[in-house]
Amino acid sequence: MADVAQIPGVAEQVKLVAGLRWQMLRNGIRRKNNRWDLIGMIWVSIFGGLMVIGVSVGFFAGTVAFYRNGRPGWVALLFWAIFLWWQVFPIFEAGFGAQFEFRSLLRFPMSQRAFYLLGLGYGFADFGAVAAMFWLAAMLLATLTTRPDLLGAMLGVSLLFVLVNVTLERLLGSWVEKLLAKRRTREIFIALFVLSMVSLNFLNPLITSPLLQKYGKPRFSEWASYFSWTPGSLAGSVVGGVAKADLHAAALGAAGLLCWLVGLSALLWQRFAAQYRGEQLSESAAPVAAAKRERRKVSSGGLPSFLPSAVAGVMVKEFRYLTRNGFAFLSLIVPPVMVVFFMLQFGGKNSALKSHGLSADLFFPAMMAYLILILLSPAYNSFAYEGKGIQSYFMAPVSFRDVLLGKNLFLLSLVLFELALAIGLLIWRMGWPTAPRFLGTVMAAVFSVLGQLAIANWSSLSFPKKMELGKLKGQRNSGMAVWTAFAAQILLGGICAVILFAGQWTSNPWLPTIAFVGLTAAALAGYWASLRAMDGLAEQKKELLIETLCR
Amino acid sequence: MSDIAIATQQLTRTFGSLTAVEGIDLRVQAGQFFGFLGPNGAGKSTTIKMLTGLLAPTSGRMELLGLDFQSHLVEVKRQIGVVPEGMGLFDRLTGREYLQFVGRMYGLDRATTEKRADELLEFMQLADREKTLVADYSHGMQKKLALAAAVIHGPRILFLDEPFEGVDALAAGALKALLGRMTERGVTIFLTSHVLEIVERLCSHVAIIHQGRLVAQGSLEELRAGIPSVEGEKKTLEQIFLSIVGQSGGEQSRLEELTWLT
Repeated sequence: MADVAQIPGVAEQVKLVAGLRWQMLRNGIRRKNNRWDLIGMIWVSIFGGLMVIGVSVGFFAGTVAFYRNGRPGWVALLFWAIFLWWQVFPIFEAGFGAQFEFRSLLRFPMSQRAFYLLGLGYGFADFGAVAAMFWLAAMLLATLTTRPDLLGAMLGVSLLFVLVNVTLERLLGSWVEKLLAKRRTREIFIALFVLSMVSLNFLNPLITSPLLQKYGKPRFSEWASYFSWTPGSLAGSVVGGVAKADLHAAALGAAGLLCWLVGLSALLWQRFAAQYRGEQLSESAAPVAAAKRERRKVSSGGLPSFLPSAVAGVMVKEFRYLTRNGFAFLSLIVPPVMVVFFMLQFGGKNSALKSHGLSADLFFPAMMAYLILILLSPAYNSFAYEGKGIQSYFMAPVSFRDVLLGKNLFLLSLVLFELALAIGLLIWRMGWPTAPRFLGTVMAAVFSVLGQLAIANWSSLSFPKKMELGKLKGQRNSGMAVWTAFAAQILLGGICAVILFAGQWTSNPWLPTIAFVGLTAAALAGYWASLRAMDGLAEQKKELLIETLCR
Repeated sequence: MSDIAIATQQLTRTFGSLTAVEGIDLRVQAGQFFGFLGPNGAGKSTTIKMLTGLLAPTSGRMELLGLDFQSHLVEVKRQIGVVPEGMGLFDRLTGREYLQFVGRMYGLDRATTEKRADELLEFMQLADREKTLVADYSHGMQKKLALAAAVIHGPRILFLDEPFEGVDALAAGALKALLGRMTERGVTIFLTSHVLEIVERLCSHVAIIHQGRLVAQGSLEELRAGIPSVEGEKKTLEQIFLSIVGQSGGEQSRLEELTWLT
């Protein structure tokens, strides 16, 4: 018989869990490396706090304005803003942040009711929820100072609204948790996030596009009526109804909010019940029905036969990793997309620079510099995604010169593809640059890429940092690798810029091309010589690499 | 050709002030099935990492198949296969792709790599999951894949760090058969394991490391002869091991203090 005399009550369990989280935070800070995280956290808290206070002022002013203009029902807009914030912010936070494994508490003797209440209670501890409640408090304060007669209604509505939001947020959170537990959906989530962020850049060109001007902008006020059943609109209708003494509308709004609360609570109870029963979230290699033993030939990846076996092997491996790394794959799509964006914004007759749109001669070197900056960045930590596989390179009878050459050749092929695509887009949208500028820039690009690869290989071996596919949090290079990349890009970019402009200053348009031919030959020789030194460096840095990447 | 597959002289590795491995002199004959044992933290993995080129020794020498490790690094690596601690797999490749990659790294041509990958996937019962990413394999499946990768080039010495950990009984049986066949063909197998019954059943020779020092080395019979026993009693490897690393029954007395557990 176990010695558990009495299961602690819900309040005691909540206290225990809160204490546990506090201890975890405190112990995390005790580690030396995490002190910087603490400083970062303090800064984030300060900025977060300022943001919340600033927005609170906005909510206060908005509420006062609606009351004074005789439109108390329009507070629905503010409820809507809080609703969107409360529901969307935690989803992104969950996608990028390490979350406390709430379900791990299930191994303790805990009733389903306690589990539900704890889960709901967690919803109030999120930054998003705290900020939203501050904003609601600002609205209440505005009501108290401007329309105290509405305070009772506003209080009741706010309470219901908070409960609806926290329940919905926990419900969505539990579904997001279920989805993000799987690698593929996690990667799709990140891809969608990055795409949505990139697509935001096109809002301005879209709004200012002649097509939209012709057909007229969408009338958002017309759409609002379709959303009258949503929590924000219902909350607004209660306040508006009480203000106009239209008790029917107010009661309908309150009933609607109550319906939301009951329905969402039932759904959340079901979700938590599934977790309580021991829902398996993570991916497992459960046995699958034996696939048909088709002995069809599986492609070995089209290994380039003219290359040494190890170099070709590394190139094929890099290609396969790229196709399975949604984030890296996107990083290939984004640069040409951004080039199109820059061309729409700054090039040609529709330029945001009005009559001073950039010419192809100016745009081409800038575009090449941008692409090289973006595309070569991963080369400074080229072992980031190897994980435990890094040991394979040290166990196999290969030199690191071959490994790095394979990685560099693969990256070069990508850079070439991207540059060709961007040049094609440039010619299509803006026409050809002049021949001396075109050749000079291309030669400058070759010089810069070779120079950067030589430095990047050294950086990859000297300052490795592990990254994981399908995660965004903490996915950045080591500080030294970032500084190395920054310094190399400034140095080589600076040299290229000075030489390119030297052609203009000396009125000799072919001067940059001639200079870059010599520099490129020197860079090639330097790159080749540096490659030879990589074997020794890899041997020196072996333990660092294995320890850092296998962690 | 040397009869000695692995020989070390005063092999030492320190990490700051901690000496993980101190002055080890190992001698493993070619074709031996050699078990390398020790309690947790004794220095087994550090030794195996040094012997496979994953960790540089602080001092001492290593010879594998008669070749000095440091001066013939690539040649030695060509002749050894390794299943390291953590397995060293690329988790975003499929099982087949990983074997293709390893085959190329060892310089096998495409056709040979394909043929051997087919056979190994079949043998390891991974043929049904050959297109599954390694990240989605279970621990046991990863172990089998790591072993397949370690033998794809036909090594003369095979280093295995805990090869049976997480492997089901069926697969373990197949692995033992494979390893047995390899030793019959003259391959030297250097294995670490915490499961002493497996080591006793498979290995002809054993070395025991304790607190970074080699405290015993020889055939099982030689080790048995080295510890006191009642006449006619055949000591098990577990008894030999406990006797050598100094277990004094302290665990039992500590258990007796936990009376509330029963």
